[in-house]
Amino acid sequence: MIRETLIAALQSAIGPEYVLHRPEELMLYEYDGSALDQAMPDVVVLPGSTAEVAAAVRVAANMGVPVVARGAGTGLAGGTVPDQGGMVISLARLNRVLTIDPDSRTAVVQPGVVNLDLSLAAAPYGLHFAPDPSSQRSSTIGGNAGSNAGGPHCLKYGVTTNHILAATLVLADGGVVRLGSSATDAPGYDLLGVVVGSEGTLGVITELTVRLTRNAEDVRTFLAVFDDLEAAGACVSAIIAEGIIPAALEMMSGEGIAAVEASVHAGYPPDARAVLLIEIDGLREDLADEAKRIAAICTASGASDLRAATDAAQRARLWAGRKGALAACGRIAPHYHIVDGVVPRSRLPEVLRYSEEVAARYGMKVVNIFHAGDGNLHPLLLFDLRVPGTRERAIAAGEEILKACVAAGGTISGEHGIGIEKRDYMPWLFSAQDLGVFADLRAVFDPAGVMNPGKLLPRVIG
Amino acid sequence: MMDFTLYNQAPARVIAPTTAEELADCLREASTAGSAVVPWGGGTRQLLGGPPARYDVALSMAGLPRVIEYTPADMVISVEAGATLGQVQDVLAANGQWLPWDPPLPRQAMIGGLLASGAGGPLRLGYGSPRDWTLGLRVALADGRLVRSGSRVVKNVAGYDAHKLHIGALGTLGVIAEATFKVAPIPLRRQTLLAAFTSPTAPLEAISQLRQPPYQPISMVILNAVAEAAIPALHPFLPDRSAYLVVAVRFAGTPGAVARQIRAAVAQCVDLGARAIELNEADDVPIWEAIADFTRPMGDLLLRVGAPIGQQREMIRLIEMTTRARGWATARMVIAGVGLAYARWPIAGVPPEALAVALAELRERLATIGGYAVIEALPDASGIDRDTLDIWGPSPESLALMRSLRAAWDPAGILNPGRYVV
Repeated sequence: MIRETLIAALQSAIGPEYVLHRPEELMLYEYDGSALDQAMPDVVVLPGSTAEVAAAVRVAANMGVPVVARGAGTGLAGGTVPDQGGMVISLARLNRVLTIDPDSRTAVVQPGVVNLDLSLAAAPYGLHFAPDPSSQRSSTIGGNAGSNAGGPHCLKYGVTTNHILAATLVLADGGVVRLGSSATDAPGYDLLGVVVGSEGTLGVITELTVRLTRNAEDVRTFLAVFDDLEAAGACVSAIIAEGIIPAALEMMSGEGIAAVEASVHAGYPPDARAVLLIEIDGLREDLADEAKRIAAICTASGASDLRAATDAAQRARLWAGRKGALAACGRIAPHYHIVDGVVPRSRLPEVLRYSEEVAARYGMKVVNIFHAGDGNLHPLLLFDLRVPGTRERAIAAGEEILKACVAAGGTISGEHGIGIEKRDYMPWLFSAQDLGVFADLRAVFDPAGVMNPGKLLPRVIG
Repeated sequence: MMDFTLYNQAPARVIAPTTAEELADCLREASTAGSAVVPWGGGTRQLLGGPPARYDVALSMAGLPRVIEYTPADMVISVEAGATLGQVQDVLAANGQWLPWDPPLPRQAMIGGLLASGAGGPLRLGYGSPRDWTLGLRVALADGRLVRSGSRVVKNVAGYDAHKLHIGALGTLGVIAEATFKVAPIPLRRQTLLAAFTSPTAPLEAISQLRQPPYQPISMVILNAVAEAAIPALHPFLPDRSAYLVVAVRFAGTPGAVARQIRAAVAQCVDLGARAIELNEADDVPIWEAIADFTRPMGDLLLRVGAPIGQQREMIRLIEMTTRARGWATARMVIAGVGLAYARWPIAGVPPEALAVALAELRERLATIGGYAVIEALPDASGIDRDTLDIWGPSPESLALMRSLRAAWDPAGILNPGRYVV
């Protein structure tokens, strides 16, 4: 009955054609990019403007119905899975790049703009949007902001939070507020800084002003091949310690290399124990110098081969291997759980080895495909969910790996977010008092607790 | 003995905690007692913000000067808030690393104060702001809670980035106890060109060209003649002092990349009618220390003006228009490519009401381009009644949220009361 009232109210607020409520319509919104969590929303709305988002939120909030904002649904931590039911707001219709200002190097975009589409729109000006999550062909700028997304090139250029200047936010009471400023250092608390990465728990972003980054004069991409996993990890650490900040420094290990090669034909040696994808960009002279130093470090670290992409096509192939890696691992097993831990870069070799031990102990295959330069590990646990008990084993294995990351001085998420998956791990990192402060912050934006309730913070604090 | 007098008010007590826990306890007690607290680092930016509505306790951070953890191979450092920037830079430099920040007075300015006051400098063009380098903070809230957010690794999305709220908040949400930063390798070479222009428009053209490929300057500033005159370190390089505007551009990287850029940039400036010279590498650091020094308090009214980068030209025009009409000889430095400018307005012989009117006029004009103006320093000696001058300008749209946040973390209102926007 309440559901009927909700649906009717939403239909009158934003028009019946943009209110989905039949089970077959809702099923599409019961999951995100993670294999582990699913839940059905009561209703899905597809507003076409900030005012409509605000109207829908007002309806839901008045009835105490949870509100879950959703971009492309590529999240990997269950952040947009409506595990308490309620209303999912799809931002898919708010998908326009509103302005590109090449002089300020900024763009104003709606949240449903696909990440790569923004870079394509900026390309004629020699600019791009720097955060480049592997999902960039489908994930949206709004979703990237919600989860403070990273990506391979964040090593040099910073993560999403470093590229968002201002945003329009619909608050839990349906109010609309502008946060941040295109003017540098405008006075006032950096509320935008907490909204980015807040996983939809503080409000719904309906417009963003983002920074665009100039394309580099030159780019060089290398593939370093290793017969030993820890040697590859040590090589990463040595490159950083040498004071080189590559544009990207990615690593892939184990069976994933062969799977990627079979699927993408990127030119990876299928029998390698680990490969590093190293990209440097900048001015020609800087690159010549860095390339020399990187080659020396790779050799000293025991690389069996170092190949340079000689043209754009080769470079694109090497990257296709990296960006298509998750899909390629479908060849190894039908399902995967991608772990997202971070460790200090000097601790990479040991934690890498440990992640393989854990997977072996749980009888799972593991492929590490990750942002090595940031110390951001992504052990990909591979399994078949049809085998009873697999889901639980995958969660337990992921948990052990993340615990090891924390023990090494790292964190439980570098870029995928906390969502449902890791909310109860938060006390590993934060005291009850720390979490209490996070809860204060949430209550400031959303006193009634309707915005993506239950996400990001542990179910029990203290 | 440091003087903690602020706007002619002296505190009843000075407290200098030596641990983060002691710091939190001080604040808890102050909250209970309702004592107003002014957190105090190196004091280099204490003139930012209005006079405290009440001032009972000066909370000196001098007892928290330690480096907590530094692993050069990870390029991450954790320090206590009372460490000076210069001290941290020394530790980093021993390993070829640095925090690429250049606020004035780095030997005095403490890390906590720099973060709390949102300090920056010309390096922002190449390296972003301190916010971009801060990985996490440990903060004592007014009610005595001692909390962390962020992490000690370069990438983290666990929890809200609550630490960002304290950056630029002038200590009104809590007092920073410890900070963790990612750091950068010191570039192999840093080198600077100076170009003196007589045309008022050519420098803007030069700046605009030097933002385009292949140039990657890490800093660009435009100084007007009054500002140039106030920076003696420049004078040996600019013997002919009839220049209208001086542009300084700094490059960093490998010697080859720096040489190519600086040579092409010199030629470009000469084409635009400038006399341009390439400084020796040895002159680079001292020159930029002298330039950064321009933004410290110096006995006049120091304004910081910001606008969207694309409105830089208009921003400069509006600043000039406001003072030229009044016949004021104002020094001005534009941090080009960043959308910031500093202007120094004279106070001697200018009635306070005239300053207030000029500022209001400037703000009204800046509003049309999405800009703002903030008073960074107004010296005590001015004798100006601060009630007649609006320090921060119009309130941000999200003021209601900011107020409820402050009420949550500083319910007794003891931290820097009356000094900030909120």
